[in-house]
Amino acid sequence: MSESEFGKKWDRCMADAVVKLATGFGLGVVFSLTFFKRRMWPLAFGSGVGLGMAYSNCQHDFQAPYLLHGKYVKEQ
Amino acid sequence: MVARVWSLMRFLIKGSVAGGAVYLVYDQELLGPSDKSEAALRKAEEVVPPAMYQFSQYVCQQTGLEMPQLPAPPKINFPNFRESWNSGIISVMAALSVAPSKAREYSKEGWDYVKEHSK
Repeated sequence: MSESEFGKKWDRCMADAVVKLATGFGLGVVFSLTFFKRRMWPLAFGSGVGLGMAYSNCQHDFQAPYLLHGKYVKEQ
Repeated sequence: MVARVWSLMRFLIKGSVAGGAVYLVYDQELLGPSDKSEAALRKAEEVVPPAMYQFSQYVCQQTGLEMPQLPAPPKINFPNFRESWNSGIISVMAALSVAPSKAREYSKEGWDYVKEHSK
């Protein structure tokens, strides 16, 4: 893996972590306010889920550098 | 009867708000692959500041208040994360390496200052 590609993967990982953390936190806020009587645990749970998903994505991205993503084309 | 209808209404409103949030996350693929969430972050960066500015202008027009010029929001950009991290590490190490000589210099200056003023 080249240096620039490595750097791009890290950048993508950081952006992904920010988005997923914010999304998880936001969903936690919504559920805490609507169904769980303003408790703290949905926020912590949502943030944890978001961070975990981001970590898993990063891990997959770094461990499988030679994986090609293809699409299945139906025979006409 | 009215209380039951009201509690049902409240449940439906809460359910629709929560369901709408979940659908928004699903539709925008915020919890999907990393390139989709990166694209969502770029789109939010483009859309949110002009929307905030327009909203503040609308509030100013309606209330007649003058909004002070706020500083520009920081850009959540990660194109040079690796370079900025590396330069940060280099600065920290450079500061640590000159720390003993700088400490000696400043303590000498402080000691000279104290000696001068105690005469």
